Amino acid sequence: MSGSRLPAVTLTLKQFLQRQRVLGLYRSLLRTIREVPDQADRSYLQAWARDEFQRNKNATNQDAIRMMIMQAKNHLEELQRSLALARS
Amino acid sequence: MASRVLVQCVRTLARSSARVSVGNLAVRTLAAPVSASHRSFSFISNIERTRLLEQSRILVGSVWCRQYGDLPPLTLESIRDRVMYVLKLYDKVNPEKLQTTSHFMKDLGLDSLDQVEIIMAMEDEFGFEIPDADGEKLMSPDDVVQYIADKKDVYE
Repeated sequence: MSGSRLPAVTLTLKQFLQRQRVLGLYRSLLRTIREVPDQADRSYLQAWARDEFQRNKNATNQDAIRMMIMQAKNHLEELQRSLALARS
Repeated sequence: MASRVLVQCVRTLARSSARVSVGNLAVRTLAAPVSASHRSFSFISNIERTRLLEQSRILVGSVWCRQYGDLPPLTLESIRDRVMYVLKLYDKVNPEKLQTTSHFMKDLGLDSLDQVEIIMAMEDEFGFEIPDADGEKLMSPDDVVQYIADKKDVYE
């Protein structure tokens, strides 16, 4: 019987979905930040978002990751709210 | 929570009184010690928010719009050139190692966040939105060129 066709490091389905969710969050964060009117603020926020994601890139605990996803969602909503406020 | 209430205050102040800036300043000086006790995240976003509010006032009157002109028709060549140009300007890509076939992660040593950023930069360059599901499959300059050519109906 030949060995498994899967590569040595494989994500479980749960991990894979979580990874998708994290990347999706990063994308929507960047999309939101793009609407910030000031150039300096924009680059500051971009660097901030990147730092936050990169700082936790070695996290493996599923629950901890879920907490961080929630936290990122909150930040995203806050940012969207203040942008909407700023526009109104 | 406190910050949200403060924002509400600022808004109602702005609506009711003509002397917006004076009221705003007073509220903001009040807000500083309160938000200092928050976690660092919300402190940062607090500052951002007040700054955003401040700027919006300046921007309100003038609406910027972009004037579209005639662009030369896209060809595979020009798409490839523009994609490579964007990649060369991206600071984490080493221009010497860059080839049309190089894989973003395996050959260029980028991570998944960089890949997301590159796809966003392509959206900016070509002026259309790439859906998440398609974006994460684009792993080399060739993929990107092919995808954009498909979307823009460029063949040959």
